Amino acid sequence: MENIAFQGLIGLSLAMYLWLISAGLTIIFGVLGIVNFAHGSLFMVGAYLAYTCYGPMGLPFPVAILLSLLGTGLLGFVMERGFLSRIYGIDEAYQLLLTFGFILILDDAVKMIWGGVFKIPPIPAFLDGAVPVFGRFFPVYNLFVIAVGLLVAVVLWLVFEKTWWGRIVRATAADREMAGAIGVNVPRVFSGVFVVGAMLAALGGAIGIPVRVVAPGIGAAMIIQAFIITVIGGLGNLKGAFVSSLIVGILSAYGTLFFPVFELFFIFVIMAVVLLVRPQGLFTR
Amino acid sequence: MKKNFSALSILLFLALVLLPAVPAHAQCKLGVPSIKVGVQGAASGPHADYGRQIEMGATMAAEEINAAGGILGCKVETRFMDDENKAATGVKNARLLVTDWGAHFTVGTDSSGVAMAMGPVLAELKRIHFFTHAATHRLTEELVAAKHIKEIVRVSVPIYQDAIIAALIFKDRKDIKRWANIGADYEYGYVAWNLFKETLKKHRPDVEFVGEAWAPFLTLDFSPHISAVMAQKPDAIFATPWAGEAVQLLRQALIQGVFDNVQVWWQAMGGSVDVLEGISAEVQKDRFKGKLWATARYIHNWPDTPENKSFIERYRKRWARFPNYSAETTYSALFIMKAAVEKARSLETAKVIDAMKGMQIRNPGGLRVFRSEDQQFIYNVPAGRPVMDAKYPIPVLGDLKVFQAKDYYRHPPFTPVAVTK
Repeated sequence: MENIAFQGLIGLSLAMYLWLISAGLTIIFGVLGIVNFAHGSLFMVGAYLAYTCYGPMGLPFPVAILLSLLGTGLLGFVMERGFLSRIYGIDEAYQLLLTFGFILILDDAVKMIWGGVFKIPPIPAFLDGAVPVFGRFFPVYNLFVIAVGLLVAVVLWLVFEKTWWGRIVRATAADREMAGAIGVNVPRVFSGVFVVGAMLAALGGAIGIPVRVVAPGIGAAMIIQAFIITVIGGLGNLKGAFVSSLIVGILSAYGTLFFPVFELFFIFVIMAVVLLVRPQGLFTR
Repeated sequence: MKKNFSALSILLFLALVLLPAVPAHAQCKLGVPSIKVGVQGAASGPHADYGRQIEMGATMAAEEINAAGGILGCKVETRFMDDENKAATGVKNARLLVTDWGAHFTVGTDSSGVAMAMGPVLAELKRIHFFTHAATHRLTEELVAAKHIKEIVRVSVPIYQDAIIAALIFKDRKDIKRWANIGADYEYGYVAWNLFKETLKKHRPDVEFVGEAWAPFLTLDFSPHISAVMAQKPDAIFATPWAGEAVQLLRQALIQGVFDNVQVWWQAMGGSVDVLEGISAEVQKDRFKGKLWATARYIHNWPDTPENKSFIERYRKRWARFPNYSAETTYSALFIMKAAVEKARSLETAKVIDAMKGMQIRNPGGLRVFRSEDQQFIYNVPAGRPVMDAKYPIPVLGDLKVFQAKDYYRHPPFTPVAVTK
């Protein structure tokens, strides 16, 4: 019983990484209508920037995360204003091509800047160690990830549901022409949302650097999972992304415990079932 | 004045006309402009250091061979390609290197998955590939010994190193009865675990294999795998993820307090330079509590021979790094190729393979002996515990356990090993 509870908690920390990356992806889709394949690359860039600030530059870990968010946000701004904004009006196939192009460019760019060899900086002292939970040792680091994930969920909910800015964004997502007609600066909303999405991806990447390696290719590893989660939750649905992150994270942790040989199929089986039963996703009306 | 001028112009004429008429490769006794060696390895992702080290080893060997006059007067030229640790890319590169670039030999390859896909293609391309890292036993036991693909030669020690040595070391630890596995989720990981279980069970019928978890390439979070096998309260862990994945696996295991609860953690390829660099801070603080064990396909602090010392010195001077095993095996592969071509006086596969029969060659990693049945070079590498040594800036394997190759290699005729999980 304790083992089951413990594994659930491990699954929760796994879910929070998934949540951070899929939140940005789903927000961008919900508002801009863009399927950003390069979202995983933003995750990777976030991880590398945080590595440089925290590792070689020796800045405190929280400062490094913050700088990585700013840097990746800036990159997101350039991507949206300089490139994506030019293709909103035309066929969706071009979005796929453009964002896919960004994957290749960013993958090669990080190889040129940071080299092909993985990086892994030391664990900050305040996150090292473990605490007794359910008769075993639970890493402080995973607690930290859970805390950050939940905090982000609360902040996003507050911003979207309780603030004027959130109402504007929701209005733009619902009907961009009408929003424009009543005086909303739609391009600015788009840029803002894309930047926030990019920063969420960066946070997902940056937060894991002392325990996960930073290497070219980690973006590709994440984007598939993030897509599966947003599809299960309903594309563009933030609450759906949160719940399906929990489902996928926790169930795959249990899969590893109970069905180690088939564990990898789990996430795909969930997606297939959801697509069959509710093709619009769990939370889309 | 006029006469002088004409003498000069005659000289110039001679220089212009005659020199190009003597082709640059005239001194090459094999009649080719150069011996082209295509080099492949994983140069991106968490395993990228292996491909880089393959490239560095090949480059340095070619430079040294050329500086000493080449092979039968022929210069060696290398070209590196990243196989991205993907079978399709490895096969595509092999075709491109041979048919487009004109490689006479190819060398390298990190992953067993890539190697098994390349095997049949090499037969079709009619070029010898010296495998210098890929470890599945099937490459030599099946594709060479059973299916007679002569284009496959392996210079690096196969999976016997990862699995059988571990069983031989820990069979005497009566305090360890419960083993669990955190495996790389592909052929290499399956075979290593199966071979380990098979060998250990022979010596210790009382041991139990209590748990397993499998992690595919690009796994970023091993926490669920670690907590799943720890739920079975094992005495020891057998782990096969390698390179950057080994580093993050060990780090995530440390923060789950695993080293307070197990007696031994076997990290098969943990003696690799990139892993040792990655866990350096933890080894310095003795956070593994002497429970971490590892091996590699070559370790730079063994054997203690002048050849090895001089190799390390030259390598560090050239690249400012310690050579990883894939660097030593690839470096040695080029010298094996050199010895074979010089004996065969030909670049033809059959003649070069013939020339390797009975070959015994001293490499930095020690004496390598060619075994004809499976075209595997036999040599031994010890296992040990990562420790700090005042002589080195990064951890090295210490407390070395040395086994003779004949005692831990599998021998023909080969019996099948399960290749599934």
